[in-house]
Amino acid sequence: MTIAFKPNESFRPPFAYSNSDAGILRFPFPFPSDAYMYSVNLEPHVRGGPTEAFSAVFDVDEHYIAECRERDLVLGQDPKRCLVLPHMMSAQWDTVELIMESLAEDYPDLFSLERDGDRWTWTNRPLQIRDAFVFGEANSLPCPPFEYITRQAQGDFTLQDQRGGDLFMDGGMVTTQADWSLAFDLGMSFHEWHGPVPLAHEAGVFDRALQYLLRLQYGKPVRRLNWTLTVNPRLDTSPENYPNWGPDKTTVTPANVGEKLHVRVELQTLFRLPRSNAILFGIRAYLASFAELVRVPKWGRRLHRVLRDLPPELVAYKGLTRYHTTAVDYLAGFDDGAATTFGIAPESGLQEG
Amino acid sequence: MTMQAGLNPTPLKLRVRAIETLAPRLKRLSLASADGTALPPPPPGSHLTLTLPIDGGRTRSYSVVSPTHERDAYSLIVRHADRSRGGSAYIHHHLAVGDLIDSAVPTSQFSLHSLARKHLLIGGGIGLTPLLSFLHALQIRGRALELHQICRADEADAFRGLLEPFAGPDIHLHTGRAGLDLQAILSRQPLGAHLYVCGPEPLMTAVEAAATSVGWPASAQHQESFGASGGAPFIVRLARSGRDVAVGEDESLLEALEAAGANPPALCRGGACGECVTVVIDGEPDHRDHFLSVDEKASGRLVMPCVSRAKTALLTLDL
Amino acid sequence: MNDQGIKSRPSYRPLSLDRTGRRHLLVCDGTPEAGAFAADTTARDFDERWTISPPLLSGFAGDEKTGAPSDRMFRGETELLARLDHRLKTEQIGLRLYATGAEPFLWRVMAVAAEAGMGRDEVRLFAGRPGPRRVYCNHCGAIAEGVVANVATCPGCGAALFVRDHFSRRLNAFAGIKVDAEVPGDVPAIEVLYA
Repeated sequence: MTIAFKPNESFRPPFAYSNSDAGILRFPFPFPSDAYMYSVNLEPHVRGGPTEAFSAVFDVDEHYIAECRERDLVLGQDPKRCLVLPHMMSAQWDTVELIMESLAEDYPDLFSLERDGDRWTWTNRPLQIRDAFVFGEANSLPCPPFEYITRQAQGDFTLQDQRGGDLFMDGGMVTTQADWSLAFDLGMSFHEWHGPVPLAHEAGVFDRALQYLLRLQYGKPVRRLNWTLTVNPRLDTSPENYPNWGPDKTTVTPANVGEKLHVRVELQTLFRLPRSNAILFGIRAYLASFAELVRVPKWGRRLHRVLRDLPPELVAYKGLTRYHTTAVDYLAGFDDGAATTFGIAPESGLQEG
Repeated sequence: MTMQAGLNPTPLKLRVRAIETLAPRLKRLSLASADGTALPPPPPGSHLTLTLPIDGGRTRSYSVVSPTHERDAYSLIVRHADRSRGGSAYIHHHLAVGDLIDSAVPTSQFSLHSLARKHLLIGGGIGLTPLLSFLHALQIRGRALELHQICRADEADAFRGLLEPFAGPDIHLHTGRAGLDLQAILSRQPLGAHLYVCGPEPLMTAVEAAATSVGWPASAQHQESFGASGGAPFIVRLARSGRDVAVGEDESLLEALEAAGANPPALCRGGACGECVTVVIDGEPDHRDHFLSVDEKASGRLVMPCVSRAKTALLTLDL
Repeated sequence: MNDQGIKSRPSYRPLSLDRTGRRHLLVCDGTPEAGAFAADTTARDFDERWTISPPLLSGFAGDEKTGAPSDRMFRGETELLARLDHRLKTEQIGLRLYATGAEPFLWRVMAVAAEAGMGRDEVRLFAGRPGPRRVYCNHCGAIAEGVVANVATCPGCGAALFVRDHFSRRLNAFAGIKVDAEVPGDVPAIEVLYA
């Protein structure tokens, strides 16, 4: 498989980002129906799904090199965007093994892993990395194991320690988040960490999700989709940098909403880790602008309907208030009222942009 | 392997590499990867669920005793149960080197607590097996530990041999329960110690009682039950189909249901995970699990078929 | 700007003895307030009581073997927590720890208990009506102490911080986010909430 990387993209001003036609069609559009409500919506994470973004264990796409560079920039400015509590070292190594094995299996042209007992050699061709190290010996890697490998994967990751019938968020690499702070939330229990999400607690959503995840088995990962909107193709919408991206919200106008407003989808994956019995939580962020997405007629119609009918609490919680009306008005132009099929997959090819 | 293709519950193909007799009723098996690929690393405290050719194909679970870093084969120790439900009898009398066995991926419902300042392990008989995997992990991680293993006098040599790699002042082998002062052992443990128990029900009950008496917090007590120990036969009625199924004295309620073609979801088969919880419509359950709350057990409206039975001659389930 | 009804805010119950424990140590940052104990419980029910005494008193009482449970008084919180740390690290299983006082004091006590390996079910905390908060500035990491209003000024970067109900037990602080990040200067009316 050959990927035409776009290594010079930028996720901070001056922005330089777009999806190729293939990139649009593989987008994990998050709405399987015309109405949206928060739910657990977990399904087995198998190779394959409604679009190409679901084909690999950890998806690598045309933005890979640029996103790794963006991560490096964030960490250079704020090292506390990667933190792991001391008791999670075996989970760090579990993560190294899982990500290396998966990338090498799914993209043999791009990554390779050679193993001779504990002596491993890892090759990452897109990033021009080749490192020989001893699995289990932190000193043999240039930085701690979890940081080392998550610097070479797209999306955020957290490590959940399972103890006392609960899951504690005891580590993370969090540079592309939708507005939550690793430094603040580190160490929280499942319910504490999800505290800020409205409505879902009353519905018992988190109680059921926790019970399900406590029984997650090795070799049977699960996934779900989450979504929000982002102004400009920013990956770093952290609370830490809210003063940087907050003002963007006031810059959306009817003239620019198509280019500026992006649907941000998180493909969330959950893996039981073998040695530590912890859970690795992958939060892979995808961005596509409204103008790109409406080139898929079904998605244009559905996006309009979902946003138009979104409950006010969710509009507020997802931070959409300032531009919600502008967004719905723009999308109305792409909704002719026709019926749409259930499910995510586009029904047809792309219209001209 | 990183991810199962599809949802095959028994994706591992193992070949019996060695069978070693440790004592007249104790055998150690080495099960290697049939095709030579690296096996998934077994978490400390994990068990393997094997599919054995008994009764047309039944599953039995055994703790993995080999360390997590050994990827070419898993070691299990199987005791020929006094009243074998088929699994251990098959392994002791029929299993041969070279045989192929289907297995699930090793799973753990019994794991070391990441913040424990000390790990106190208490095992009885074959209950030592998950504790052996703990000893490997704790030794590698350099953690404070103390182990008390109780065994029969005629098996002492075998258990001494199993504990030999870990021998030291914190490892204690007791032949019989008489010399074991649970109260004293538990009461001298430091704050932050966690307790892990595995063995016959009477031992687990005695340890739980002693732990309660010294004020050991519930969150720091961990148990692994080795499943139903059988009991009086009874009838289970499946309310939805109206069928009655006999539950024999040597099989669990879950096994009887599966043999009859009713397949409630099940996972750990040891009363810990909650997967098989079933609604009781009539009759009184005999709870033997570690999952339901005190209130849930008292209400009698739920039961865990993998380990629990019935107090009444007839138990009606919403199946 | 409002906080959507966050559910991670700790809730407290008046203290009563955890009968599953064998020894019961109560620590306070002063005189326990009315309502700190459940209806069937008084301070004398605990085996030991530690408190912070007014500055004029020195030393600690409780040396006499009167047969009654002992009291210890400390000159300040630092001394109490240091002593507690030492005590817990040499204690045996079966101890239950109780704390009452200002909310930040409680979570410092909890941190000492966690350091000694105690779990959440071995410690009970009670804070009465909401008091002044510690607020963590998400932008520079500084902590604002003694915050009583819905908006606080960060002592590190000067930002006007909206004080959220999202609480970190590890940091012993509430989250603070720049209240006027989107439109600088658009700061809501100040309300005193936690005095």
